Amino acid sequence: MTARSDGLLRRIVRHRADYLYVAPALGVMLLVIGYPIYDTVYLSFFNTPPNLALEDKIFAGLDNYGRILSADSFHEATWNTLVWTVFSTFFAFVLGFGAALALNREFRGRGLLRGILLIPYVISAVAASYVWRWLYHSDFGVIGAISVALGFTDTPINFLDNTTVVMPALIVVNVWKEFPFAMIMMLAGLQTVPDHLLRAARVDGAGTWESFVHITLPHLKGVTLVTVLLLLVTNLNSFTIPYIMTGGGPAGASEIWITHIYQLAFGRIRFGLASAYSVILFIVMMGLGYFYVRALTQGDERRGG
Amino acid sequence: MKEHGFWRLGGKLYLAALVVFTMLPMVWMVITSLKTQFAALQYPPEWIPRNPTLDQYWLLLSPANAVGREFLRYLFNSVWVSAASTVLGVAVAVPAAYAFSRFRFPGRNLLFYSVLLRNMFPAVVFLMPLFIMMRWLGLVNTQASLILTYLTFGLPLSIWLLKGFYDNIPVQLEQAARIDGASRFQAFLLIVMPLSAPGITATAIYSFIMAWNEYVYALTFLNDKDRLTLPVGLQRFFTEYATNWPGLMAASFIMSVPVVALFLVLQKYFVRALTDGAVKS
Repeated sequence: MTARSDGLLRRIVRHRADYLYVAPALGVMLLVIGYPIYDTVYLSFFNTPPNLALEDKIFAGLDNYGRILSADSFHEATWNTLVWTVFSTFFAFVLGFGAALALNREFRGRGLLRGILLIPYVISAVAASYVWRWLYHSDFGVIGAISVALGFTDTPINFLDNTTVVMPALIVVNVWKEFPFAMIMMLAGLQTVPDHLLRAARVDGAGTWESFVHITLPHLKGVTLVTVLLLLVTNLNSFTIPYIMTGGGPAGASEIWITHIYQLAFGRIRFGLASAYSVILFIVMMGLGYFYVRALTQGDERRGG
Repeated sequence: MKEHGFWRLGGKLYLAALVVFTMLPMVWMVITSLKTQFAALQYPPEWIPRNPTLDQYWLLLSPANAVGREFLRYLFNSVWVSAASTVLGVAVAVPAAYAFSRFRFPGRNLLFYSVLLRNMFPAVVFLMPLFIMMRWLGLVNTQASLILTYLTFGLPLSIWLLKGFYDNIPVQLEQAARIDGASRFQAFLLIVMPLSAPGITATAIYSFIMAWNEYVYALTFLNDKDRLTLPVGLQRFFTEYATNWPGLMAASFIMSVPVVALFLVLQKYFVRALTDGAVKS
């Protein structure tokens, strides 16, 4: 009660021992997270030489930003990033939510099934990318062979070398890797839906569908928000799958922001330009981050924490 | 009740289809790894290998040949880098997570949410400044650079997961210890630490898996062949040896086994760790 009337400084002094617990973590975070963020913003205003002799960098003001925002390759990458993020998030969520609903009931083998469905989530993205590259192989790929065997096409499809098919093909891989995350989040959410409400609804004559819409869904609002936000963030940040499977190709058809930044920074060694690009990405992320923290703090307030 | 049966059947069919979708790539990885190179490059594919062989596994895991030596080195490097960065991260995260869970010091919320916000930033954004920093420290092309930079994701994640575990340990236990004369730090060390052992184990293993699978930092900071970790090493196998697909699949399989095994054994903790915080009843 008295805490509020005290001055900030006095409160800090009184809690000084608390800071000892967080100090090592904060030190490390300042070094590997805080400083890099500062440095990225700083470098974004400079032209950096290709040999990375940073003492020779030239101040460029907002030039880097202007160059990026007006470049065609940025517009194409932005469009691809949108397609990639929206479709990956949508399908991962729908597939995962469906699995959660089907698993939300006691039956034999449920734990095993959940375990199997979670495997893609923990497998290394590099291994997954090579396995899918092999599945998509233009001559010996099993997916091409299956579609021929089932009569969908006459010859195997060249998934990764075709500008129209490449994005959907990559999104399938990403959804494969990500839907388990949506599944466990939604499954955990479903388990918080009070049983007595569902039973009461059944007594009142509500069918499976009605009680789902009127009781289950409203209860899942918070989890859904957090899950979708986290999926959006993960997808905006994807690197490994597109980089290993296509490297952004063919002809930039699967180039997204992150692979584009990487290419600018470590392919063409233009750190200044790539930093400006990163800052633009930062700003988008901060927008999403605001909603993420808000969704989480609302939960905090609800449970009075 | 008839309507109920309809949804249930639908659910079963859906799960069956999803299991096929999930398993197909993994099954095909294993099948391919059991083929010879010649058998793998057939059209239409040999659905079941006619002459299954473990040759690729022997090749990768035997120190008697160059490929095996290289692969075992990557494996060893991966274990070392992942373990070191996990130990470092968890050691620093434990007191911080405890403080975030228990104490109400000024700036707590601000600090905690800045920890969370880290997860919003892509690794690539940190890559350039960290690369410059590593060059300045003379750590480019050393495993120390990875151990250090893996903290960029390992530390915030560990703090977040551990805080969830501490939130679930009743504060009354420490209060009782304090009444019995323990100092605050003793209560933390002697009462809370033993109770949070499962939480620390789960967090450590989660952080280990993240480091084990990490690719982009390793790709950027290392170029010396002897120092590579598995994900980048795998890529070398892909480019160097004229794409030996069965070998690549066998290597992917070996790389996946430890994490999948760890994960399945500790599934319960993981699911809790992942969903805690977002979902609370």
